[in-house]
Amino acid sequence: MTELVDPEDPAAGLAAVVALRRLADRLEDSQVERAMRSGWSWSEVAEVLGVTRQAVHKKHARRLLAAGVALRRR
Amino acid sequence: MSTDVRSILVRAARDEARRDGSRTIEAEHVLLALAGMRESSAAQLLTEEGLSEEAIRTALNREWEQSLAVAGIAVRMGLLPEATPDRGHDPHIGESTKLLLKRAMDAPPKLGPGRIGPMRILVGLLDTDRGRVARTLDAAGVDRATLHTKAREALASGNR
Repeated sequence: MTELVDPEDPAAGLAAVVALRRLADRLEDSQVERAMRSGWSWSEVAEVLGVTRQAVHKKHARRLLAAGVALRRR
Repeated sequence: MSTDVRSILVRAARDEARRDGSRTIEAEHVLLALAGMRESSAAQLLTEEGLSEEAIRTALNREWEQSLAVAGIAVRMGLLPEATPDRGHDPHIGESTKLLLKRAMDAPPKLGPGRIGPMRILVGLLDTDRGRVARTLDAAGVDRATLHTKAREALASGNR
């Protein structure tokens, strides 16, 4: 295995951007799931994420329903 | 095997993307799908270089960890909370996959109708020094130039 880390290298810096987006997506998916399993409402999740309730619903509702999460109406 | 593996490969790559929680099918998902076509010469060439599916997954995680480290973030992939994958979602083709398909089509020898195969896809995948696949192969300690040459030679000698 080789080290890819060189903070002076734009290739490493740009790869870090991609890696951070992946991390944010993974965290969003897992933490929205965790919140909804804990009985949070869509409105509460949306407020914390700083997006509309519709946006968070559109992005996660189908996945969580399929995953068997009991979703609250509001 | 079908004369055109694109549909098989895209389906397998889409499964990989879904499993990865990705909204798009990226080149790394195509690489995993290719490694999974074990009877193909392309997968066998990858295995010869130590790139089994499992080894590729390990290297992808390592690339992710190392790229996050550039931003000062220390994450152990095994400790990240998991999200249930969206099985109903159909990830669409991402930019890195469009690029690799174009490179595969453009690679010599000139492509006849409906004759694209795993080796040509592998050549397309390896035909760049940029992006996550190149970095992942580097992280795995693979000599990309040599692998690319071997794949091109196999393609040139009629191995699709």
